[in-house]
Amino acid sequence: MSLYLPIAEMSVNALLIILISGGIGFLSGMVGVGGGFIMTPALIFMGIPPSVAVATQASQITASSFSGVIAHARRRGLDIRMGLLLSIGGVVGSTFGVWVFATMKALGQLDLLITIFYVFFLGVIGALMLWESVWALRRRARGGPPARRRRKRGWAHRLPLRVRFPQSGLYISVLPPLGIGLLTGVLAAIMGVGGGFIAVPAMIYLLRMPTNVVVGTSLFSIIIITSLVTVLQSAQTHTVDLVLAALLILGGVIGAQFGARFGARLKAEELRIILGGLVCATALRLLWDLVAHPAELFVLTR
Amino acid sequence: MTLRALLLAMMLCVLGAGVAHAQRPTGLSTGITEEEVAVTSDYRGAQLTVFGVHWQRGPARSDVVVVLRGPGEREILRRKRRILGLWINSDPVRFSEAPSFFALASTRPIGTFLSASTIANLGLDPGALARLEGGTPPDSDPAAYRRALVRLKKAAGLYRESPRGLSLEDDGAFKAPFIIPANAPVGAYKVDVFLFRNGRLVQRKPGEVVITRIGIEKTIYTAAQTWPLLYGFSAVLFALASGYAAAFAFRRR
Repeated sequence: MSLYLPIAEMSVNALLIILISGGIGFLSGMVGVGGGFIMTPALIFMGIPPSVAVATQASQITASSFSGVIAHARRRGLDIRMGLLLSIGGVVGSTFGVWVFATMKALGQLDLLITIFYVFFLGVIGALMLWESVWALRRRARGGPPARRRRKRGWAHRLPLRVRFPQSGLYISVLPPLGIGLLTGVLAAIMGVGGGFIAVPAMIYLLRMPTNVVVGTSLFSIIIITSLVTVLQSAQTHTVDLVLAALLILGGVIGAQFGARFGARLKAEELRIILGGLVCATALRLLWDLVAHPAELFVLTR
Repeated sequence: MTLRALLLAMMLCVLGAGVAHAQRPTGLSTGITEEEVAVTSDYRGAQLTVFGVHWQRGPARSDVVVVLRGPGEREILRRKRRILGLWINSDPVRFSEAPSFFALASTRPIGTFLSASTIANLGLDPGALARLEGGTPPDSDPAAYRRALVRLKKAAGLYRESPRGLSLEDDGAFKAPFIIPANAPVGAYKVDVFLFRNGRLVQRKPGEVVITRIGIEKTIYTAAQTWPLLYGFSAVLFALASGYAAAFAFRRR
């Protein structure tokens, strides 16, 4: 079934996009991460202009995060105060990110910017995922202790401007949450991802937030950040494609819901190895495009 | 099937017109199957045929060339350079008025009966139509940029040439089928039909095909361009509503 995308100005196979976003949504729902960092490169490989892929993916993440946050809010797994602080940082970061995005687009270097960000972050995350899952599997095989114990206080607890977060049971400085939000916002604008893969580990290891509120709180801030990115990209670069967004939301949201149910019955380590391998392969493919001698030396950019 | 019937009827009309004018020594009468193409949500590109009839006295060799040209666009062409091991776009060259789409059909390859200057003057060479704006970077060849522009557009299916795609019947009727892919932009497309006799231009007939978005495609595109903030907020609302609907549909009881 072919469908014409009004902003990308091209005809695509609607069923194919729904199936791919559904598959990636399923996988990410099982593992519990957003699928943006695989879906956006997949769209680019399919020939969607990178600017449209990144900007449109933001609205898909808004939808899937919103469907996720409702469940967390019901069981009080949400620290609103922390979420708002992350969002304030995210607003600054995403505004800056969209500005960089528009500037690089005007300079004809947008594809380079997106690719470099993806190669770096996918490479690091993929490698970490593989490393952690392999360790976890080996630990389980040896029957050793499940995990190291975390230290009680880190540097994030010694900074000034300390505030109490009753929901998380913390008394920490506002600066680290603002910083995490800032980085998440930049990544959302430039990569079309929610940034949960940065925010969640940072909230656990840097802020020492209890794990039961981490995911809900990060989803809360991701909704605010990706909503802002969608509005800013619409206003500055006119690259949000509503028809493409509808396809991505349809596949991604439903896929993630099924994935979350299915994933509850599976072992996380094996899944993480699959996802880590997929992420590493995507990073290598993107890196190859940057370093290999191109068959065509010239390129048209608007 | 209906299109074929329509085409036949139109060709008969044109033929009739041709017979009426047959007293003139040479002449050309043309038509287009579709003068308006609507871009809807199932748009996959357009097919149209430029047809006509030409007549002449004497044994001279006649050639017909049909050109379909999309609106001129500003294009920026960059050459990749290796910087720190990465291939990075550099050395930009700007073209104004590069045809967004260009298709040519002729009775035989135009190079065999037209000089290079005639080809350029009549606008039969898309590379020559694109105007360089502000020159090329030092120690680079402008011709290489022009060739690259044509090569890239051809690879995208936006520049097409069928040097023998125009069939000329014995009775002087001809037709040239064209395919406009979905990635070609909307706008006013110029059609030019040229009649050559012994390599000399005898007559030129202009025409126009307009490609427009209609329905939901038009609404979405216009909203994104005219009210970008409102468009952005609608996209967010749509996403939130879909997310809520999904959570509601999949909630655990």
